[in-house]
Amino acid sequence: MDNAAISKMVQGNNTIWGDHFQLAGPGAERAYETIQLTRLAPALGAEISGVDLTKSLGPKTCQEIHDALVDNQVIFFRDQDITLQQHKDFGRYFGSLHVHPVIPGPEGHPEILMLHSDEKEQYSASAWHSDVSCDPVPNLGAILLAKVMPKTGGDTEFASMHAAYEGLSDKMQRFLCGLEAQHGSEHVFGRAKNADDKRPTAIHPVIRTHPVSGRQGIYVNSVFTVKIIGLKPKESASVLEFLYRHIELPEFHVRFKWQVNSIAFWDNRSPQHRAIADFFPQTRTMQRVTINGDSPPFYRPS
Amino acid sequence: MSNEVLLDSKALAENEALAYVLESHENIWGSRLRLAGSNAAKTAYQTIRVERLSPALGAEISGVDLTKPLEDKTFQEIHTALIENQVIFFRDQNLSMDQHEAFGRRFGTLHSHPAIPGPEGHPKVLILHADEKAHTAVSAWHADITSDQVPPMGSILLAKVLPETGGDTMFASMYAAYEALTDKWQKFLSDLEAEHSVEHVFGGSKGPNPPSPAVHPVLRTHPVSGRTGLYVNSVYTTKIIGMTSKESAAVLDFLIRHVERPEFHVRFKWKVNSIAFWDNRCTQHRAMADYYPQTRTMQRVAINGEERPFHRPN
Repeated sequence: MDNAAISKMVQGNNTIWGDHFQLAGPGAERAYETIQLTRLAPALGAEISGVDLTKSLGPKTCQEIHDALVDNQVIFFRDQDITLQQHKDFGRYFGSLHVHPVIPGPEGHPEILMLHSDEKEQYSASAWHSDVSCDPVPNLGAILLAKVMPKTGGDTEFASMHAAYEGLSDKMQRFLCGLEAQHGSEHVFGRAKNADDKRPTAIHPVIRTHPVSGRQGIYVNSVFTVKIIGLKPKESASVLEFLYRHIELPEFHVRFKWQVNSIAFWDNRSPQHRAIADFFPQTRTMQRVTINGDSPPFYRPS
Repeated sequence: MSNEVLLDSKALAENEALAYVLESHENIWGSRLRLAGSNAAKTAYQTIRVERLSPALGAEISGVDLTKPLEDKTFQEIHTALIENQVIFFRDQNLSMDQHEAFGRRFGTLHSHPAIPGPEGHPKVLILHADEKAHTAVSAWHADITSDQVPPMGSILLAKVLPETGGDTMFASMYAAYEALTDKWQKFLSDLEAEHSVEHVFGGSKGPNPPSPAVHPVLRTHPVSGRTGLYVNSVYTTKIIGMTSKESAAVLDFLIRHVERPEFHVRFKWKVNSIAFWDNRCTQHRAMADYYPQTRTMQRVAINGEERPFHRPN
């Protein structure tokens, strides 16, 4: 059996050996002047170096970081020992900051969200999701900083919804492009306790066009999406189940191994993410700012 | 920055509320797992350095040059590291085919692939090559050739040509996957056996003597560590013996999806001359089919197993 025969065998049995994907990669090969960029996986993710986030950034650097974010969908920085104030300042280059409706931040910093897990509190969102897609205008992105890490474990995975969309057949793409889905939060956070306790719901397109890059991406997720509008319950459940399994293919992922003072900055309009819940009972503390979205999700045919 | 700033009392109280929400909605947010691997006894190594990569499995070994013959002590420690970590990785090992075979022979006799001949003079070496013309990535989870009565004990894979990005390999710990099952599932699986076949994988039989399927326990006891691992995989396992076809399909589908959880994985990013050496008795692996049309060439030797898989309840 020669190599061509193996190739034929693998392709002829892709129900057993798995599908193959030709990934488009980043939209453009850019020449950056103020930052260095190392791509981490074909689907998404790049590590940025040559920038010190404890210092204020010039407009050229901000533009290049934003370009890198849109092209790579999630970008990573190492060794950024920034204060709460510097963390917020960095976020504000990209938009206004979100204040969590339920969870207060540290004294004087309501825009900061602390995510802490230890022996007593096993906090870890290990299901694939994009953040608060139940909001009518979900946030634009989030900047997560590692403060305390377990010895091993506690990685975060990101999945490219552009790559997942492009990995579908033409027929499936056409079917999904006209559909909308209901997103909710009551099933996630429990019933509202009083009038101030909001449980937002929203209807969004199943395929979302990125407002900057114009690339299409799958926009349903296993946490907040309730159903596809206009399908029967069993049809909706079956389509969503297929899409959630499709998103789980590691060809669409990058797995980020944190160090203390590492940062992940994801574009919440394209990738989904999940924490790896494998470090209990060790301690893991993360510090986050979230950037408000500027427009509701939309679909525009390519 | 002090921990007091990070965790003032108000934030801590809210953190409890957050933990409650997540735990009481486990079916939505995913369940949390306690992995034994991160607490496993650690050997004090004298001749090599061992850096654990993930709680479930995987370690990078440094301080050893595999182009040279190994001292017995070094060999022993590499073997111990393999047993403890299930898959071990080496960097910058520019091995010739002879050196690759010699390293493998320290661990047992070498396996000859039944269908794919090796390069001239090296029948035990398997070259795995993918490029624009040939999609050869095996992107489904599997252990190697479990359709054999005595499947290989392990494989040593060396990267020769790599794409710019992509082509990672993921490994999954079958111990961690087993240990994360409820007691009820563990008991249910403990006396089951499954059929493993090669015919549906490589297409209909061509020769006069198609290999007969192997029957292995669904749970396998590792002959050295004594730990129990899950032993069915998505490529070779065809059915569970003694169940109806629908029952068997439902159980296998659950187990195969369970293995896909990233809590049980390590994802290895290759460089040229990196090596992955996996224990085929307690891990599964899959390639990422994400680099087409780029070229990726790997060189492998596999080590024969010594005994049929068995299950000895604890």
